[in-house]
Amino acid sequence: MSEIFTTDVLTALLAGGILAGVPLLFAALGEMVAERAGVLNIGLEGYMLMGAYVGFVTAYHTNTFLGFLGGAAAGAAVSLIMVVLCIRLGLDQIVVGIAITLAAEGATALIFDSQFAESRPTLGATERIDIPGLSQIPVVGGGDTSDGSVFSQPPIVYIGLAIVVGTAWTMRRTHWGLNIRAAGDKPSALDAAGVSVLGTRTWATLFCGAMAGMGGAYLSITAAGLFEDFITQGRGFIAIVLAMLARGKGAWVLIGAFVFGISLSISDALQIAGVDISTDLVFMLPFVTVIAVLVVFGRRSYLPAALALPYVRGAR
Amino acid sequence: MRRSFKHAALAVIVAGAVALTGCGSDSGSGDDTSGGSTSAPAVSIAKIGIAAPEKGNDYGWNQQGVDGAKAAAANLGAEIEVADGVGYDNVEPVLRRLAQQDSKLIIAQASGYNTVAPKVAAQFKVPTLVYDSPSATKAGEVADVETSSQQGAYLAGILAAKTTKTGTLGIVVSAADTNWFKMAGGFAAGAKSVKADVKFKMAQVGQAAYADSAGGKRVTAQVIAAGADIVFGMGDGASFGMLQAVETAKAPAGADKVYFIDVIGDKSPIDKKDVLLSSVLWDFTKVFEQAAADIGAGTFGSTGYEINVTNGISLLKTDLAPEDVWAEVDDAQAKIASGEIEVPLTPDQAAVDALIK
Repeated sequence: MSEIFTTDVLTALLAGGILAGVPLLFAALGEMVAERAGVLNIGLEGYMLMGAYVGFVTAYHTNTFLGFLGGAAAGAAVSLIMVVLCIRLGLDQIVVGIAITLAAEGATALIFDSQFAESRPTLGATERIDIPGLSQIPVVGGGDTSDGSVFSQPPIVYIGLAIVVGTAWTMRRTHWGLNIRAAGDKPSALDAAGVSVLGTRTWATLFCGAMAGMGGAYLSITAAGLFEDFITQGRGFIAIVLAMLARGKGAWVLIGAFVFGISLSISDALQIAGVDISTDLVFMLPFVTVIAVLVVFGRRSYLPAALALPYVRGAR
Repeated sequence: MRRSFKHAALAVIVAGAVALTGCGSDSGSGDDTSGGSTSAPAVSIAKIGIAAPEKGNDYGWNQQGVDGAKAAAANLGAEIEVADGVGYDNVEPVLRRLAQQDSKLIIAQASGYNTVAPKVAAQFKVPTLVYDSPSATKAGEVADVETSSQQGAYLAGILAAKTTKTGTLGIVVSAADTNWFKMAGGFAAGAKSVKADVKFKMAQVGQAAYADSAGGKRVTAQVIAAGADIVFGMGDGASFGMLQAVETAKAPAGADKVYFIDVIGDKSPIDKKDVLLSSVLWDFTKVFEQAAADIGAGTFGSTGYEINVTNGISLLKTDLAPEDVWAEVDDAQAKIASGEIEVPLTPDQAAVDALIK
């Protein structure tokens, strides 16, 4: 058991937690904004999958930076289906969301296999930025390790943290944020104020798609370094739950994503240490931890009143 | 205008649903290849059909099954019909179609088909092979294939224990899978047989994380950080992530490089960093040929089949395996075949834990 508390293992544990948490952070942040605007994106998994595929292929043919941009663009493009069918035409958000996920699963597998089934290309390790001084601190530094740690991460991770701060500020302090919250809480009031409810929801959903696509791209480019059919493995649905439990608070999305990631990493470490606990219980750890943390500390938040409801002017 | 827009939107959904149906079912149908008659045994079987849940180019279970069926068909001078990428949700129509198209032997290449396959076999009276379901055996209709994969893993354990520099071996499995546990136990037993003090670091990616390549990479990286310089990985799609972790890992103290041992298929063509030390290969060809022979003799279904080191389980030899170590592997293989070495069977995690702790 004592050999599990070495610097290398603890560093790998933190790195694993970040690897597992970042895709959830991006996707859940996007979903949080969309939910605040009244749009429930059950198709988040589909946005992530398309982002993962396009991000990987773009990075493979060009570079990592363009890969992430391509992933975000692909996620946003898929979310356009949600915009057209649910926001503009008022179709059921849950049904369309499920269709998007299934279609993305089939489409990405089909296209990827037609291109790469035999060659199975991989990307090398993503380049990281070491925070001067801090990256040399044992365990949290990670400067000289293969997967880094808190202070040695690829630029996309720092960009993600900046987006969290920017989104939280926008939601709380700007007219855009107010409009988004109104679109989810009282869309008729927003409409009466002369702001387009459909337009607001459209931009929120496109942002959600872009963030989920970015999360998917992180998964394929950095976390795995390759694309595999259904690589997301249900992470989109976990992100939806995280966004709901965070209930509109960007900081809680951040905390939830990394608590989940670190818990997942701890469950790996427990097994490696040979702790005599059933794997059934070990695999419950991330879910139980996140639910406990967010329910206990995030309980004063709430879900928007008009969540998943189409807006029709004048309808009661 | 708005009305026509709605119609267009509905058309998109319907088209999507149709496309999904296509993706989820028989994507590999029509892969007909006439087998070239070579040294065909005195068995006459016109056509072999195989249904596999994933695509037949996955460098793993499905590819080995499809390749084995094709090789058997070629050796027997039979036609082959491959239905791969079938999944698990809508298998019965695929098996029925294989039967209706005159397959004389159907291979249901997934234990997940064990409920449906015997039903179709009974309905169409077509001899059918299933996996890990001895109770389904029925004369003339259904025969069971069991894998003694732990025997190949035992050989991999010898190779790993003789090659490791840190004295710590990693075992990573993608799921709570009987075959993974059997091989994990065989690997541990083989390693201990030549190096009693070898240590193991074992972890499971998830309960059924077969395709979780990101999870496979994350867990493998932690196993390597815990000191393992050779990782025995079992994962289907997740194993690509394990391989990626090994390729990008910083070697633990005492080692200069980390190596990977794979299972079922041969990933040499995609091993760009020369880290693939070996693989426990499963070749089903001889088992399929034996099944065809039994059909000809009228004895199909009277007994089950076992794939082991004498008829299909082997260890992939790469340039990374030292010659002297390989001689020991060959020796152990001969002893397993003769019964001199009996590899322990560890069908669950508890049995594996008892060996590695």
